[in-house]
Amino acid sequence: MISEPRTTAAGSHESRFWTASRSRSIALWLLKVLALVIYSLVVAELFIRLFDPQALVPRYVTGTPWGIRGNIPNARYWHQTPEVKVQYRINSQGMRADRDYPLQKPAGTCRIALFGDSFFVGYELDLKDTFATQLEQQLRAEGFNAEVLNFSVSGFGTAEMLRQYEKVGRTFDPDIVLFEWHSTDPDDNVRSSLYRLQNGTLRTYRNRYLPGVPVQDFLMKSSLYRVIADNSHLYAFIRERVAGSVKRLLVKLRRVPRGTAGTAVADEAPPTDQLSVQARWSSPDIKLSAALLTHAEDLVRAEDRDFYVVEIPARTSRTQFRSTITVLPPDTREHLKIISPLAAFADAARPDLKLYYERGHGHLTPTGVRLLTAEGLRAIEGSPQLARCSVPAAAVAPERHGSGKT
Amino acid sequence: MLFNSGIFALFFALFFPLYFLVRKSVFWRNVLLIVASYIFYGWWDPRFLILVAISTSVDYMAALGAAGKPVFLIDRLKSAAFLLAVTVGSLIFASAKDLWLLPLVAAGMMVAGLWLKVIDRSPPERQRRYWLYLSLVTNLGILGFFKYFNFFVGSVTAALSSLGIEVREISLSIILPVGLSFYTFQAISRTMDSYRGRFDPARSIVNYAAYHAFFPQLVAGPIERAAHLMPQFESMRPLNRDLITTGALLFAWGLYQKMVIADNVAPIANAVFADPTGQTAGMTLAAVLAFTVQIYCDFCGYSNMARGLARCLGFDLVVNFNLPYFARTPSEFWQRWHISLSSWLRDYLYISLGGNRHGQLMMYRNLMVTMLLGGLWHGAAWTFVAWGAFHGVIQVVYRALHVDQLLERVRFWTPAGLLVHLSSWAVTIALVMVGWILFRARSFEDATQVFSNLLGTSGYSWDAFWPVFAYAAPLALVEIYQRMSGRLEVLNVGPYLVRHTAALCVLLTLIIFSAPGGQEFIYFDF
Repeated sequence: MISEPRTTAAGSHESRFWTASRSRSIALWLLKVLALVIYSLVVAELFIRLFDPQALVPRYVTGTPWGIRGNIPNARYWHQTPEVKVQYRINSQGMRADRDYPLQKPAGTCRIALFGDSFFVGYELDLKDTFATQLEQQLRAEGFNAEVLNFSVSGFGTAEMLRQYEKVGRTFDPDIVLFEWHSTDPDDNVRSSLYRLQNGTLRTYRNRYLPGVPVQDFLMKSSLYRVIADNSHLYAFIRERVAGSVKRLLVKLRRVPRGTAGTAVADEAPPTDQLSVQARWSSPDIKLSAALLTHAEDLVRAEDRDFYVVEIPARTSRTQFRSTITVLPPDTREHLKIISPLAAFADAARPDLKLYYERGHGHLTPTGVRLLTAEGLRAIEGSPQLARCSVPAAAVAPERHGSGKT
Repeated sequence: MLFNSGIFALFFALFFPLYFLVRKSVFWRNVLLIVASYIFYGWWDPRFLILVAISTSVDYMAALGAAGKPVFLIDRLKSAAFLLAVTVGSLIFASAKDLWLLPLVAAGMMVAGLWLKVIDRSPPERQRRYWLYLSLVTNLGILGFFKYFNFFVGSVTAALSSLGIEVREISLSIILPVGLSFYTFQAISRTMDSYRGRFDPARSIVNYAAYHAFFPQLVAGPIERAAHLMPQFESMRPLNRDLITTGALLFAWGLYQKMVIADNVAPIANAVFADPTGQTAGMTLAAVLAFTVQIYCDFCGYSNMARGLARCLGFDLVVNFNLPYFARTPSEFWQRWHISLSSWLRDYLYISLGGNRHGQLMMYRNLMVTMLLGGLWHGAAWTFVAWGAFHGVIQVVYRALHVDQLLERVRFWTPAGLLVHLSSWAVTIALVMVGWILFRARSFEDATQVFSNLLGTSGYSWDAFWPVFAYAAPLALVEIYQRMSGRLEVLNVGPYLVRHTAALCVLLTLIIFSAPGGQEFIYFDF
């Protein structure tokens, strides 16, 4: 039922007064709520800064036309942890570098392409200390006219590395391809579901894996968001936890269900420490990762390039490290060329020496990278691909890389 | 289901909207509470719901009979139907090999039926007492079998063996049902109060079953008195934003005590008490301090969570801990520690034994018996008996020396008064800690080793004590404020912004500093 509108002067005044008063009280209430929310956020920010300071590691990633994440071209940003403050400069091709690379390989130059996650991107490291820069410098010092192109993106698993190679890496005509291997890769490969094993054969399953990218792209348009993402400990705290939970959920949801992998029942168990090594080798997650590496190796070698897998060991303490590549079945490891700094790390380990950062996100320190580079150099300098660009040492001008250190 | 688990959060998230819908009907609210409470308890092991139902069915009738009211056929049928329904319901969720419980329950009902015939044929003046016996035999029988059977059989066998009489040791693999000691004591108290004329039981098995199995306090108390809690189940409870907010904050404070303090200091205590041999004096003292903090925060935290949850549902549970570590004498400690159990032991055991009505010596005896049985209530082990005996002895000594009365005469805010009160406090807390060594040690050998370690002088370093200090110091500050202000609910005092900030900080602390993995509540074992 619709009531008659009041027509008296007094009634009209009363109605307007009531409306204005009500609007004012609602506005006041909203203002109070807003003030309380802002106050709560400020208190929470201070609390986190005081009792649990976070590593500020904003991810400047976006989607690529080939359906996976890529570094935002030309981005400039900082990472700040209790141990380091580092600037990141991304070139227009989405690589962490101070210059762009032509598609056409310069004559007499060898190209080494790196595919990895944040370890290869060089998180918590200045550009001059990254594996890419160190390797290039060492190769030049050894008399190779080589350039190292870094196609790595934080969060990548083997599946994304493979996609990155297929869609963009190979167009730069590399001579040697290095894939990083880390303990997170089996989960990353399940999570992305870009490939799956069907009856023992690797098949493309999804064309896109852009977790959170649309949201991130939208938010990155706001300069306020960028300020918060770059500087807020509360934001970093929430982001890490939410991202961690979503990652775990995605792995659970996308793990191959019973029967479809064509494997035994025991294969379904996730690779945890409680399981025997043999059981882990035959789990679908590990089989998928092994198949991805095998496929990548076949693909790269078929194009007359050399292929290596670089193991990043896991840190169990400052002086103890664990191999991460032993989760792969022995037959896979037999045919792969593996570069592992495990023994070098063990030899170098000292209580007063950090090979990994311990209070940030646990990436390699410059010392750790130097040991890894030495192993990498030792492994690849015998590659026949490098012989094409071997020149007298004096003839090779050292490449200049800027430092992000402040 | 643990209060600090994800499954409980899901359970409560589903339960609370339903509760909100039915809260205005006492009957349907109580039906929902029964179903929810049985799901809560049965999540651990559905078979043991039968024990809860036995206690409920028997005490529903026993309280009526003990109060001198007629127990009609309809009351007996209601009890039997309730027990059978729960038995069948629980066995649906148990495995097929547990179906033997059904004929066992039926046989038990027949035995109870025979006992009811005996009661019916006995003179009216004896009937009340027989109803009380039925409750005592049922509840203490369940408690005795599940908690103490192996202990007593083992102790008797060992005693006979020491006398040169060799007997074959009998040991049953009995699982101790969670919360058994709590809900049986609560059931006994209601029937006892009905017998003593302090409580008038009503004829609604739904109301009583909801009271008996009320999930916030079913598994670890507080042990409620019927006169306090039962009327709340017989009436519509107010439920407003204020109650829900303050209840939630009380729950959060309990969660903080449990997950941030108790669970974080537990490993320090566990490391030493798992194997005290070879530990330094410093590490051992740190472990004793850690356990002193852990057991308080573990149990007080649970009680606060229980009270907070109950308040969110519109119910009021008794305060179970009133700053016990501020006690200046052992008797004051027991007036502040696990108050619902201490008062239960006082009202139903100490006073029943004669209390202080038959002279000094009898009072000391009654005190010792009460504390010994109180110790045994905590667990079927001689170390608990020794812990009870220790507390009995120190209370007897304090009473003989009239320490409590002397302290009453000394004014606090004078230099001499401060010295006297602080000294009394220090002595009492030291005695309490000595008691905790007996309580926590796995055996007398371990306890002896801990005491022996403490006589040493090595290992006293800041590193040993820092972890305990880091977690205990904020709590100590809060408790000093609680003591000075007389307000126990620290998150529910002060202007809105202060309360909001405090609650926010507690929530953030919970998220950041909660111990990974978490530990079970210590009192679940009792």
